[in-house]
Amino acid sequence: MLESLLSQAVNGLVLGFIYVLIAVGLSITFGLLGIINFAHGAFFALGAYVAYQLYQMFGWPAVVFAPIIVGLVGMVVEVVLIRRLYGKEPLISLIVTFALGLLIEALIRVFWGSDGKPLSPPSPLTGVFEYGPLLITKYRVAVLLATALTLAALWAFLSYTPYGRILRAGGRDPEMVDMLGINLPRLLTAAFGLGCAIAAIAGVLAGPLWTVSPSMATNAIMPAFVVVAIGGLGSFRGAVFAGLAVGVVISLTIQFKPDAAAASMYAFMFLMLLLRPRGLFGERWERFE
Amino acid sequence: MNESHTMSACGSIGARAGLVALVFGLAASFGALAQTTRPIKIGMIYAKQGPSASLGEFLAHGTELALGQAGNNVLGRPVELTWLDEADPQVAQQNMQKAIDEYKVIAVVGGNSSASALAMMSVASREKIPLILPGAAASEITGKNCNRYTFRTQATVPVQMRGLMPYVSQLGKKVYFITPSYAFGQDILRSSRAMLKEVGLTEVGTDEVPVNTADYSSYILKIRQAKPDVVVGGLVGLDLSNFLKQWNELGMKDKIPFVEIAVSDTDFWNVGPVASTGIYVKPWYYNNPDNTSSEKKFVADFTKKYGRPPSDKAWSGWIAMRSLLESIEQANSTDSAAIIMALEKWRYTEGKFPAFYREWDHQLIKPAVIVQIKKDITDKWDYFNVLKLTSDTEAETAKSFGTREEIGCKMGPI
Repeated sequence: MLESLLSQAVNGLVLGFIYVLIAVGLSITFGLLGIINFAHGAFFALGAYVAYQLYQMFGWPAVVFAPIIVGLVGMVVEVVLIRRLYGKEPLISLIVTFALGLLIEALIRVFWGSDGKPLSPPSPLTGVFEYGPLLITKYRVAVLLATALTLAALWAFLSYTPYGRILRAGGRDPEMVDMLGINLPRLLTAAFGLGCAIAAIAGVLAGPLWTVSPSMATNAIMPAFVVVAIGGLGSFRGAVFAGLAVGVVISLTIQFKPDAAAASMYAFMFLMLLLRPRGLFGERWERFE
Repeated sequence: MNESHTMSACGSIGARAGLVALVFGLAASFGALAQTTRPIKIGMIYAKQGPSASLGEFLAHGTELALGQAGNNVLGRPVELTWLDEADPQVAQQNMQKAIDEYKVIAVVGGNSSASALAMMSVASREKIPLILPGAAASEITGKNCNRYTFRTQATVPVQMRGLMPYVSQLGKKVYFITPSYAFGQDILRSSRAMLKEVGLTEVGTDEVPVNTADYSSYILKIRQAKPDVVVGGLVGLDLSNFLKQWNELGMKDKIPFVEIAVSDTDFWNVGPVASTGIYVKPWYYNNPDNTSSEKKFVADFTKKYGRPPSDKAWSGWIAMRSLLESIEQANSTDSAAIIMALEKWRYTEGKFPAFYREWDHQLIKPAVIVQIKKDITDKWDYFNVLKLTSDTEAETAKSFGTREEIGCKMGPI
């Protein structure tokens, strides 16, 4: 029993790390821009599709450009659409980004079709590690490492580099940043692009794990919202803790009661919102109060 | 002078009367012409999105091709086909209502998910519009929930499971089930559990998985812990593709055999030859040498039009639409009751023995085909070897579909 719990928990960590990556992008977008981006899952899916396309045309090494391309798309979307939402009430950003998400998903279906695209991990990463009850594919271990690295790099960027500090300051107090002579609109464009790029990285990593299909977007956005609600909107730490917790909870629920697996993360969120509405590490945002 | 005036007055009245009669006659005949050339509307309800999107696409193409082969018209009138979504049971039910109210269809061909089918059937019965289900294998559809307005082409879960069972018992004694958590999956469990006892197999574990699950790694770990001899699945569409992919990646493909019923070619085309494995029951296979000549023509026409061979879903849509069009022609009317009665008498006479909708439950009595993934897949589309049919003679087929008491369908009047 303990062995099965252990193997499920390890599996859950891998799932959790992907959820963390998706949620962190969402949290950043909210934290820095005040926009709840319902289209986040669509950028996740777009990342996977662009990676698939690049892989088909140029092979695996080209796939690193996928998040960059999606980030650029995100920046264009910000300039054209998102910047009109700043300062407006949250409901508007929800509706607009929800519609945007549907639009991107529909465009994906137009260009690539509604069927799933098989995408296998690159050959050096096929195969499994087996230690007794622990069974994990090499690719999942690679995903774990890649997400951990990405998260660490992101955290370092936001905490230690001047650009990262400016981004955080812009999220806190945009007027002051503006008055200090920093080009705020360009900053916000970059921030949105960053959020989308992170979603795309998660999509690129998840593509070989789960088939690349248009419904990936929904499979990503729902856990992302749950994780962000549990961890606290706008909190990096919260997204990490909550993401891992959600991944492990889902995997352990599958062990005992699989049909409750999908519901388990919502039950978790429900409990959290009852006991501590702002989430584990959430902060009170002046904007909303 | 007077006479000529009277004559011309009479003449002019006569002429006017004649003119009016001519105009009325023309108007009436135009009206009749318009009536007979007014298009007949038929609805299709298939998934456009979600895990069953590939299934929906092929179903729609097959249905459209059947109409195309019939010259895009029936009873000398053009047919307008409208394709609405079957994203989930609610949407399917609403679209069924919409097809009837807004698009004024005279019949609907649609419904692949058993859950959607059950929802759509109630609308069909209430609105008295014929519904032909090309998919949806759960037994209650032509069983305890049956109604006079619904017909179904796919073989039921018990028929398919009974075809699969001999292969399951050859593979071992311990069975693990991984089925989706809705009517179809529950029917698989119900039918299988009864059959397991008969052949002396034991169930070592069951997982009922929510539809549209992306990550099966935890389930695969559980299966591995339970150490079964064979895994019986029930996953649908992209869910099956995802499962097989992850099953292969975790190294389980060559360790424990996997079997399932009611699968479709696209499930495997979407995952690729490397991860495909197993023995399956499905309605039809395009590369079966025993296909009838009209089926072979269908394969040729489909491949020419769409650049790939038809999956079994395309055939299901095709045969459903064929049965509808032929029944409308036979009934010589677009009236629901007439179409229903014609469908109940419809027969597909090509093949070793005829296929037909059984009168008292509207189930298409036709054997399904048992296939196995080829050891070496060289062709882009040809993944399967045909092993056998679920029943070889007319009598065997009728028996396999169950008796009236077993099925439990009680239909009302039209």
